[in-house]
Amino acid sequence: MKEKGLRLLLSLALAVMLYAACTAPVSAEEAEGDDAAEQLHVVLDSTGAKLFTFCGALHEGDEYIAQDNALYRIATVSGSSAIAERIGEETMPDVSWLDTGEAQAVFADMSVPAAGNSGSDTDSRKLIAMYVTHSDESYVPSDGTQSINGQGGIYDVAREFRDALQAQGIDVILDESTHLPHDSGAYRRSRQTAERLLQKQPDAIIDIHRDGIPDQSEYTCTINGENASQVRLLVGRSNQNSGVNREFAKEIKAVADKQYPGLIKDIFIGKGNYNQDLSPNAILIEFGTHTISKERALESTGLMANVVSTALYGPQTGSASAEGASSSAQKTQSAEKTKGSISGITWLIVAVVVGAVIFLLAQTGGGKAMARKLGRNVSEMTGGLMGKRPEDEP
Amino acid sequence: MSLGMILLVVLALLILFGVLQRVLDRMALTDKQALLCVAAIFIGGWLPDLNLGAVTLNWGGAIVPLAVCVYLFFHAGTGMERGRCLIASVLTAAAVYAISVFFPADPVTMPFDPMILYGLCGGAIAWILGRSRRSAFVAGILGVVLADAAVGVVNWRNGISQTVHLGSAGALDAVVLSGVTAVLLCELFGELMERIVRGREQHAAEGGQHA
Repeated sequence: MKEKGLRLLLSLALAVMLYAACTAPVSAEEAEGDDAAEQLHVVLDSTGAKLFTFCGALHEGDEYIAQDNALYRIATVSGSSAIAERIGEETMPDVSWLDTGEAQAVFADMSVPAAGNSGSDTDSRKLIAMYVTHSDESYVPSDGTQSINGQGGIYDVAREFRDALQAQGIDVILDESTHLPHDSGAYRRSRQTAERLLQKQPDAIIDIHRDGIPDQSEYTCTINGENASQVRLLVGRSNQNSGVNREFAKEIKAVADKQYPGLIKDIFIGKGNYNQDLSPNAILIEFGTHTISKERALESTGLMANVVSTALYGPQTGSASAEGASSSAQKTQSAEKTKGSISGITWLIVAVVVGAVIFLLAQTGGGKAMARKLGRNVSEMTGGLMGKRPEDEP
Repeated sequence: MSLGMILLVVLALLILFGVLQRVLDRMALTDKQALLCVAAIFIGGWLPDLNLGAVTLNWGGAIVPLAVCVYLFFHAGTGMERGRCLIASVLTAAAVYAISVFFPADPVTMPFDPMILYGLCGGAIAWILGRSRRSAFVAGILGVVLADAAVGVVNWRNGISQTVHLGSAGALDAVVLSGVTAVLLCELFGELMERIVRGREQHAAEGGQHA
């Protein structure tokens, strides 16, 4: 009877796998296509004015830093619309040093705590790593489809971005691995790519995407007389680096607002992880949406390369006074990031300790028994220096 | 420091302070062996992947966890337990695959972090099938590995040439996190259920004595 049940379960599992394999979405078209309309949310402010459209689920508590640096928090989500409350003005990093003229590079000590940089070799080195989680993402007007079964048009954007950063004297590793299919496992697969890249100790790691909202007017813009696409920065709030990632995104936006006003559309801080737990300088950049031409997105890569280079390494040239001002501003930002990082890790440790206590309570059945067990273990660990030895117990 | 690294350090501390002693006893592992495994996963994660052409295996993220699975499998008490262990692994693989396919693609839209969900599935399935911590660990590890292999087959069927990376994120890979989560869930849930059952039996026995 038992064996029959087990066989039944096994058959059921194989059937599920077979069915899932046959219905698996391979592309963004399939993953986004059917549900796209359901996933689109129009976010309104408390007066009913439209703030932005978002492709994907929204959750209460998600935050949004608008182009004018107003901070909103999603208060209610109902059907395909959501209401965001204005919390106030987001405090942005001080980038007044960008106004202070021309001179030399000053960021040898790095504005941002690099992902593991140490030693004299890495201190002077500039290295950025990039990868593409949703490999199939493409631009309809240029690629003919929103999804290509392999390397989509988004790889052209990533390559252009890499070349523009390299032109700034930065070493860039673009990992062109694909992570298909475009399903919820894509981030798990790209996590492996990200981890491989992080072993090279880059100063920042960037995941390149494009958005999925149909209204192209939300992303089209003209900068310095050129047709370009706006860029959204995305920060996942479900990881211990969230605070630091947010500071990094704000730094990029603050620099972009000075250099190319209107280039950064907004910063969205939503539920999710986006593999940003792997590094404090991890960021997800969305170059436009699928309905704009790829050429617009390509135009923006050059602008974003200047912005990212300045945000990470400071201006290429600057006066002595600019050096002083930027250096001091960067120290303040660095302190903010350290604070954010410590806060995230503290919360994580608290959560782990609470989990361990629940675990011990379940094992021992009560507070006294738990304390006795812990005391005994600590005594064993410290050779009797701390905790209660078993022979001391009554 | 990333989440995975913090979890590994915490895991090592839990082993050192004996919190996981009972779990390890049930898995037929000593504290030293367990710490050695944690260290091997940590160090192996930094070594270059073993390249087998269309498939690569990370030492810390796949080879060490799979070796532990083989050890646990052959230390399983009975043939029946081994059978349950394999069935739990296939069921977990099906669950992991189904989660990947049927859950929304964007993390924003996911109701639960899949990285944790895989392990929870492995732990729950192993506990239902045999209340075995050994099976839970094996199901957590093999479930993700088999699901990754299945993705490789589906991609190949769809004409996509994409290398299957097994455990490439090393200690931070879903393979390791899933195995650890599965065994912890199985132990926590198992202990709670066994405590409730023991409590009921004791209560019934006391009732009998009074009568």
